[in-house]
Amino acid sequence: MKGLTRRLLVRLGTGLVMVWVVATFTFFLVHALPGNPGDAQYEQYLTQGMAPETARAKVAVIYGFTSHEPLLQQYTSYMWQLLQGNLGVSISYTGEPVVQVIRAALPWTLFPVLTGLVVSFLVGVTAGVVAAVRRSSRWGGLLSLSGSLVAGVPSFVLALLLAFLFHTLWQILPFGDTSDVTLEPGFNGPYIASVISHAVLPVATYALLSYGGWLLAMKSSVVSVLGDDFILASELRGITPLTRMRYIARNAILPLFTVLALSLGFMFGGSVLIEDIFDYPGLGNLLLKSIGARDYPLMGGAFLLITVAIVLANILAELLYSVIDPRVRR
Amino acid sequence: MTDTVQLTAERAEAAAEVSVRDLTVLYRTDQGELPAVAHADIDLPTGTITGLVGESGSGKSTLALSLMNAIPAPGRISSGSIQVNGVGDVTRLEGRALRRVRGRALGYVFQASQNSLNPLKTVGKQLLDLGRAHDVQDMRGLVRRARELADEMGMDGARVLDSYQHELSGGMRQRVGIVLALVLNARVLILDEPTTALDMLSQAAVLEIVRKVHRQEGLTTLVVTHDMGVVSEIADRLAVMYGGRIVEDGPATEVLQRPAHPYTRALIGATARITGDTDTARALPGRPPDLTTVPRTGCVFRERCPLAMDVCAETEPQLLTWAPDRRRACHADPATTAATGEGA
Repeated sequence: MKGLTRRLLVRLGTGLVMVWVVATFTFFLVHALPGNPGDAQYEQYLTQGMAPETARAKVAVIYGFTSHEPLLQQYTSYMWQLLQGNLGVSISYTGEPVVQVIRAALPWTLFPVLTGLVVSFLVGVTAGVVAAVRRSSRWGGLLSLSGSLVAGVPSFVLALLLAFLFHTLWQILPFGDTSDVTLEPGFNGPYIASVISHAVLPVATYALLSYGGWLLAMKSSVVSVLGDDFILASELRGITPLTRMRYIARNAILPLFTVLALSLGFMFGGSVLIEDIFDYPGLGNLLLKSIGARDYPLMGGAFLLITVAIVLANILAELLYSVIDPRVRR
Repeated sequence: MTDTVQLTAERAEAAAEVSVRDLTVLYRTDQGELPAVAHADIDLPTGTITGLVGESGSGKSTLALSLMNAIPAPGRISSGSIQVNGVGDVTRLEGRALRRVRGRALGYVFQASQNSLNPLKTVGKQLLDLGRAHDVQDMRGLVRRARELADEMGMDGARVLDSYQHELSGGMRQRVGIVLALVLNARVLILDEPTTALDMLSQAAVLEIVRKVHRQEGLTTLVVTHDMGVVSEIADRLAVMYGGRIVEDGPATEVLQRPAHPYTRALIGATARITGDTDTARALPGRPPDLTTVPRTGCVFRERCPLAMDVCAETEPQLLTWAPDRRRACHADPATTAATGEGA
């Protein structure tokens, strides 16, 4: 257990370093951009007839620094603001702190992405086991084929297809935004039902996108475990088929946990396209809008958050792994 | 003298714990179904340790697996019977009945280098899985019995049950394998290459344990090995396989001292002694056959045999009793094979 705590601390440390690197990168990215958006903003204020001091102060509020100070000082002041949880002020959402903008959008990415991931993991892994065990039968072949097919479709094609079929053609599911705007947000039946029905299409897209990957990965993992000696040994000891199946599944699922953590990060990235297509106001949509509006503070904040999410997911995977695999527990 | 030998032979015949009759195991290959074991006839007399030796590919492991009716696809038992005392013909069993026999009546121990334990569960938890699979009511009793067996084999029973596979040494894994094979009081113990991949001291320890447990539990034991040293160490009886055929069997000491088949003689001759000149060990020329290269007609060994005659290419020699309690499948005169044994 002592080793586990130490490894976790090491992970946490490297995670912090990663976050710091990304924050630094974002800072210098904003600086390296042609025309330095901070300066541009400053000049814009000046042309609007604002006094230089007021304009400088306004820019400092937005970006956490002004380019009139030496670079190092700008950097330390930016980092100092960051440590206090201040990511600056959004430009496109005038005056609103970036933290608040992100906090409003985050649940609408977290909830569909996590739901989609859990659904696809459970379904894909189960289907993978079946596809492996029945790999010589027709059903097993069809399952594997379904995995390869779905895994090969680009995310935006799938999203557009689903939107066309279920919204435009059959008109079963709503499209755009997180709920019906006429409803009062809160803990009431119609609102929750509306949220769920609005989330179905994005969730289904996330789930379908990763389902094929899980299926194929689990299938190959199960096939390799099936050839392990201890499976034959347990068969020769007369262990029941159900227990043997559990032995196989648990051993086969191990390598997938690392992938699970990584894919969480990938799905956050993937949310940019999918939320844009479904016009779903999550983090990905926010990121895209901020890029379009050259809202650098917001962009930086979104990048940082995605980094933190990936780091946390990796730590979580490490923890899970050590719970499930005794060989890494020491 | 001859009479008493005859008598014991007959008694052994009557009290065979396992008797294999005319067993043929076929494997599907590109060239059709080919026999990995052909017309094998062998008895495991109650209370004895039988050594089954041969080169890799000789069919000895296939024969051992067929005792559990566990030939992996694309293989199958195509004919013959395997009568086990108190169980009946194993080759006729399937499904639940077969599963019950495995582990309860027949204990199978894997090669030490192979990982026969689930790496994610402690030995104790796997023991409970075993108990549940065989509807053991008294789980405490089962654990107590496992602990006793482990203690008998020179391990700390309580600690072993609490361990994962990766926390055990090769020799300990092997002993845990034996514990799991015997904990449900199996009468027949089958060990597949029990000493392969172990260091010399662990080998000696495992053999000592096999001998001890065999005696204490009154088992009937089959040891599959390619190591003549192991056989001379613990076996009461010895059967030699080549190209899927049993080519010779009999009491171990007699076969080792007076081999009656040129292949047995070559096997013994190829074993290096620990002391003395290693040049006295003589490798058998040629390569052991596999499924596709075994001669289809005549004697399977004739291509590597120093005594090969014309008849060997035409007629396959039958496994026949040529002296009390001894059988061999060879056209050559028994006197020739024994006599040249010392000369080589």
